[in-house]
Amino acid sequence: MILLAAKNLARHRVRNTLAGLGIAVAAALLLDMVMLAGGMERSFERMLLSRGFQIRLAPKGTLPFDTEATFPGGAALSGTLRADPRISAAGAVLGGALFTRVGDSLLPLAGLGVEPEGQGLYELERGADLVPGDTTGIVIGASVAARTGWKIGDTVRLSGGTDPQVARVRERRVMVRGVVHWLYESRGERTVGVTLPLIRALTGRSGDRVAMIMVKVARDADVEPVAADIRRLEPGVEVNSVATLIARFRTRLTYFRQLSLILGTISLFVGVLLVSTLLTITVNERLGEIATLRAIGVSRAGIVRRVLAEGALLSLAGNGLGLVLGLITARYLDGILTTFPGLPAAISFFVPERGAVLRAALALLAAGTLAGAWPAWRAARAPIAATLREEAT
Amino acid sequence: MISLLVLLSLQGPAPREVAIEQRLARELGLGVGDTVRVHREPGAVGTLMVVSAIYQARSDPATVLRNEFEARFHLADLARLLGAPDRIDRAGIRLQPGIAPDTAAHRLDRVAVGFRVRPSAEIASESSRTFLVVSRFHRAIGVISIVASAIFLLCIMLLKVEERRLDAAVMRMIGVRRRTVFVALLLEACLVALVGAAIGIGLAWASAEIINAYYGARFETDLRFAFLTPEIMLFGTLLSVVLGVLAGGTAAARLIRTSPLVLWRRG
Repeated sequence: MILLAAKNLARHRVRNTLAGLGIAVAAALLLDMVMLAGGMERSFERMLLSRGFQIRLAPKGTLPFDTEATFPGGAALSGTLRADPRISAAGAVLGGALFTRVGDSLLPLAGLGVEPEGQGLYELERGADLVPGDTTGIVIGASVAARTGWKIGDTVRLSGGTDPQVARVRERRVMVRGVVHWLYESRGERTVGVTLPLIRALTGRSGDRVAMIMVKVARDADVEPVAADIRRLEPGVEVNSVATLIARFRTRLTYFRQLSLILGTISLFVGVLLVSTLLTITVNERLGEIATLRAIGVSRAGIVRRVLAEGALLSLAGNGLGLVLGLITARYLDGILTTFPGLPAAISFFVPERGAVLRAALALLAAGTLAGAWPAWRAARAPIAATLREEAT
Repeated sequence: MISLLVLLSLQGPAPREVAIEQRLARELGLGVGDTVRVHREPGAVGTLMVVSAIYQARSDPATVLRNEFEARFHLADLARLLGAPDRIDRAGIRLQPGIAPDTAAHRLDRVAVGFRVRPSAEIASESSRTFLVVSRFHRAIGVISIVASAIFLLCIMLLKVEERRLDAAVMRMIGVRRRTVFVALLLEACLVALVGAAIGIGLAWASAEIINAYYGARFETDLRFAFLTPEIMLFGTLLSVVLGVLAGGTAAARLIRTSPLVLWRRG
């Protein structure tokens, strides 16, 4: 059956090659859209859980580091949380603009003040980590090391602004303790990490205000109960579990999800239309041949199966090429979207996953096979005698 | 985060002024002259303020997807409310005529500590980076769609012309010249492409209207999310006609080269 279908398709090489190409492009677009629809969320979730911190506390009504807002009592709260036996780590974070001098220019740096005993923002690559109470140490990312030429053990100057009271620059000499990999750093960003007291001193902030607290719960089952307890304990703070953050992220990326749905549907439709048109015309051309087959005893079901097999074969060939094309275009499109300003470098929009790829391929294969149903039905219902007479005249 | 709580209170010290955007006024049922208590964060001591104006917020594509509410304060009031007197996020400088913004910004930036100095053009360029990325993404998707539709169109045209082989055979047998048959088939392909383009433009117009109506209502904005410009229509029509003529011409050329008897037999 498959061999016969293949031979039939080979009779019109040009048109069937074109149709196969068309299906391949439609399949590629469908695959890309399937990857886009779910990829962002999975990539975001992976990034959030990369250090195992499942809860983020932020100022009420905001997402972590979405605004420059801070909330009071941060370090005290993180200390309280660390005392909870269900919580394995918790650390407060405060951000601020820092500067250093490179040549005769000031280089702006994104400064993050952390509590080393519970930080979830970076992974140490080389050297030593910060320790609690360290007010003379700094950790830097590879981008800062490359731009400044700083090495582990170097003593460097960091400043965080001017003190308006005494009109003097707030500056500290700090030692580079280690080189780290920042998990949420965006492309082109230059991030340095210091302890919470040091960033406060550098940026001139008093009080116990922080931008975020990250919480790692020992058992996944305890995440929601712990989040609920924190909400009760601190009603003025926004408690975001990973699920909450993903839901907020999903809302912001509604556009991409809807776009992927629309384009995915269109590509499926184009694939179906192509197979259906091609098979309809092919069947019309071969009505005489089909009537002859029917006259020599081939059943209607047999005719239907043959036409459906042609549709399936055409879709299968298009799918194979489409898969390769889809992966290539996904990589290209991902390269475009990941240049969004401020987007963490760890986020991808197109994540190839076996399930997604399989779903897209099966959807197109099923649609392509079913697209042959109408021409197959027409072929099977063609009146034998009348068709043969028409063919003979 | 600043939250607004409505208190229909007329007591206390002379309230300060706040202007709120129309959507927020509608959401909270506020009108000009109402008094609200504005907090820096939940639980903090609030400040009584009088709604002095309700305005239509400027539609900003950069923030529309965030769907956030906006309120405007006098700078001193907001700084006091935030507990950060004499702290600002940004300041604008108008230079004397003849001074180049780049040079001035560079010189200031070299000596400034605690803030960055950048020319407005650079900030505008950075702010529009998001849209440039989206635009590049749309263009890439557009190219893929064009490739798919081009192949689709080529295939359909090929089939369409091949469908006319009996007519072509008859025309050739009754003495119609090859050239005439070719032109007839080509014109037909052209017409099909033009009709298809017209239908496509109609569909695109309807989709753009639906998209704008849907997102306009969803984000309560008068921004246009989809534009069907004359350039796009022209491009679509030209592409369709060029592909139609190309495919139709190729198929027609193949057809007229074949002997009429062979065409008749194949028919």
